[in-house]
Amino acid sequence: GFVIYWFVSRDKEETLPLEDGWWGPGSKPSAKEDESIRPFKVETSDEEIKDLHQRIDRFRASPPLEGSRFHYGFNSSYLKKVVSFWRNEFDWRKQVEILNQYPHFKTKIEGLDIHFIHVKPPQLPSGRTPKPLLMVHGWPGSFYEFYKIIPLLTDPKTHGLSDEHVFEVICPSIPGYGFSEASSKKGLNSVATARIFYKLMSRLGFQKFYIQGGDWGSLICTNIAQMVPNHVKGLHLNMSFISRNIYSLTPLLGQRFGRFLGYTEKDLELLYPFKEKVFYNIMRESGYLHIQATKPDTVGCALNDSPVGLAAYILEKFSTWTKSEYRELEDGGLERKFSLEDLLTNIMIYWTTGTIVSSQRFYKENLGQGVMVHRHEGMKVFVPTGYSAFPSEILHAPEKWVKVKYPKLISYSYMERGGHFAAFEEPKLLAQDIRKFVSLAELQ
Amino acid sequence: EFCSSLAGIMLLEVLLVLGSLLIYFLFSKKKEEMLPFKDGWWGRGQKPVTKEDSSIRPFKVETTEEELSDLFRRLDQARFSEPLENSCFHYGTNSVHLRKVVSYWKNQFNWKKQVEVLNKFPQFKTKIQGIDIHFVHVKPPRLPEGQAAKPLLMVHGWPGSFYEFYKIIPLLTDPASHGLSDEHIFEVICPSIPGYGFSEAPHKKDFNSVSAASVFYELMLRLGFNEFYTQGGDWGWLICTNLAQIAPNHVKGLHLNMVSVSKLGLTHLLSVLLGRCFPRLFGLQDEDIRRMFPFLKKGLYRILSESGYAHIQATKPDTAGCGLNDSPVGLAAYILEKFSSWTDIEFQNLEDGGLERKFSLDDLLTNIMIYWVSGCIVSSMRFYKENLQKGIGTQKHEKLTVQVPTGIASFPNEILHTPQAWAKKKYTNIISFHFMPRGGHFAALEEPELLAKDILQFVDKVEKEQLWKKK
Repeated sequence: GFVIYWFVSRDKEETLPLEDGWWGPGSKPSAKEDESIRPFKVETSDEEIKDLHQRIDRFRASPPLEGSRFHYGFNSSYLKKVVSFWRNEFDWRKQVEILNQYPHFKTKIEGLDIHFIHVKPPQLPSGRTPKPLLMVHGWPGSFYEFYKIIPLLTDPKTHGLSDEHVFEVICPSIPGYGFSEASSKKGLNSVATARIFYKLMSRLGFQKFYIQGGDWGSLICTNIAQMVPNHVKGLHLNMSFISRNIYSLTPLLGQRFGRFLGYTEKDLELLYPFKEKVFYNIMRESGYLHIQATKPDTVGCALNDSPVGLAAYILEKFSTWTKSEYRELEDGGLERKFSLEDLLTNIMIYWTTGTIVSSQRFYKENLGQGVMVHRHEGMKVFVPTGYSAFPSEILHAPEKWVKVKYPKLISYSYMERGGHFAAFEEPKLLAQDIRKFVSLAELQ
Repeated sequence: EFCSSLAGIMLLEVLLVLGSLLIYFLFSKKKEEMLPFKDGWWGRGQKPVTKEDSSIRPFKVETTEEELSDLFRRLDQARFSEPLENSCFHYGTNSVHLRKVVSYWKNQFNWKKQVEVLNKFPQFKTKIQGIDIHFVHVKPPRLPEGQAAKPLLMVHGWPGSFYEFYKIIPLLTDPASHGLSDEHIFEVICPSIPGYGFSEAPHKKDFNSVSAASVFYELMLRLGFNEFYTQGGDWGWLICTNLAQIAPNHVKGLHLNMVSVSKLGLTHLLSVLLGRCFPRLFGLQDEDIRRMFPFLKKGLYRILSESGYAHIQATKPDTAGCGLNDSPVGLAAYILEKFSSWTDIEFQNLEDGGLERKFSLDDLLTNIMIYWVSGCIVSSMRFYKENLQKGIGTQKHEKLTVQVPTGIASFPNEILHTPQAWAKKKYTNIISFHFMPRGGHFAALEEPELLAKDILQFVDKVEKEQLWKKK
């Protein structure tokens, strides 16, 4: 009886309360917060690049076990090749220019300087206004993950797509990630971040907007939709967190029952054999989550001091989370879907801002008290929702599961290919699905 | 409060489900068979046809100006992240305190002097199963007429090293000079686990605790010991246990300062649920109750909050260790965190993690330097994967019992408490089990005298029993 109670979420359309917070250092000043929006440009210096090169030069590698490929983590033989590229060919100054191709800004919210890029459409059919779209990244990603998908959304015509939906895109950095200031206080979790991003959209003058996210972005956007459903026209996700959901236990009954319960052939393919694809997979891939949710300051310390250590830690995810089978490859299949320039640019964002530790603390703030302890985990989401199920995502979420938490699911797509870093890896596919979803949402 | 009681009920149900699934284990009797010796070859490439060089070569720890200046440059250029306000050691090693440690490391810690300290005990290297095994071998300076030194193998764990034994060794090899009875005098052998410190790291996959036990068994035989005592905590606990399972006729006695049970069954579950109400029914003593309950806090939550490192090391050691082998400050933060929480979990509430309450910075940094100068952090972490990757409770040796006379020193601040009632299911011949008055995980380094006394009284019991049996 308790089990059933525990798993059946409340059905009434409640919203997450909009509280407040202040995360700056020391005590909150009495003066009103400066709400100006200031332009921002990424910069670098000779000193910064020289320091990086010196650290790369003195990197101490440990030889891998014979035949271990990527089964023990990032293979240090391949790492040497990446590092060599980083040292000798990667041009950070050029990448900084690429980063600055979109307009960046900073504005103070709840005591923290929040960084975001804001890209408006270069051209619009007459009489039309662009649809505001907030896109939120995750870990170990950044706003940079969206650089390839942004043009497909703000300037579809130039990319051979219909201009039925033209967006203006806002990509903030989660507090403690990249160029957004890190919190000085404990407790800054996804709900606080959601509230900060909602305030950002409000400050930018948007009353109704779309939101999109994967990884932490998925949770933050979900919280926004739970907090201010009247402002969210539609919520699009490429990843889902399994929360209290009786359906998530049903695969344990076996593959034969699966068909009776309404799982599709594709679902069964991605979930079975259950022990291997779900249980062992989670155990094998969640070590980083476990240590970050308990001792972020410990694990992050070396990563903020050794750029190569940081690269190994982050790049391992871009390998395994893009395709689990890449662990069988000597090079982790890293360059099959991404360019080294792009991968290293993302890492440089963590390195030059020194934000790895604060980024890892987000895990403790969200998961450190245990699972199923936050109010929002038990609450459903009542805005039009769209979901892209990428086949190589770490854990597959069948439509049945997603619909329990998001009862207004109007679009669920099995994507042709792609993994966890969808926007980065398959921008066209993701853009197509976002547009398909928005078409349906506009009808609501 | 409602939520936490609901969580408690949910936990209850999860445990009951697990318990009923494990019910058949209750009926599977542990077998008394021996663990087979695990032969292997862990060197680089193919095993050569020529016979392995089995000479024992003296070894001295050395350092160079280059090594020191490289270290200092890295310490100078360390990049720290500000801790959250009022976080103490709850988010891990506090970087404000870490800065103080680093300052000491740079300006006062004298590595050259510490190298001399390390070299005060004779050290050696010898090739076994393809890799160079490092060990300390200390003989008694003096022996009373007619008495023979008893060989004692002491095995360290992670993130420790042979250096943890430097304070206890004199108490065991030269008890009379330290106010202890000289009825039993030992010659102590402290090897470094392959992949740790000055022992070569295995180049092949699958080097686990049974491999280490087999290597150390070969070492003791090579040194000419037919019968010996073994002592260990942390990985040393498991390696010595495996050694007692491989060669019970050679191990006179097994002394442990940590015991972990991996085969959990219905009785364990019931003990946890009902133990506080019916302690005697489950063989639990008052001190067991005091240390184990409330179980959620002292058992489950503690495991979850303290085992993140084990989880990542058991799955992605090469990733986790990469930065640590490149940043001495990062390495120090990672290792020191354990010397704080595993000595006393309450130290997390202190701004300085209570680090210097039981240890000197010199000792802590010497241990860290061993990991740094040998560059062994990654290989040390791989040991977790080799032992745990198939899951806990799945390996053959976990299903076998230990019949060798066993002595257990149970320290109060050990991470998890194992009552004698649980330990004796595995260690069927426990002749000594004591609740120590103080001390945590790093017993030999923190409370050498307490540990030495417990070892002595255990050995005394074993020897007297043997004498009685002979008569």
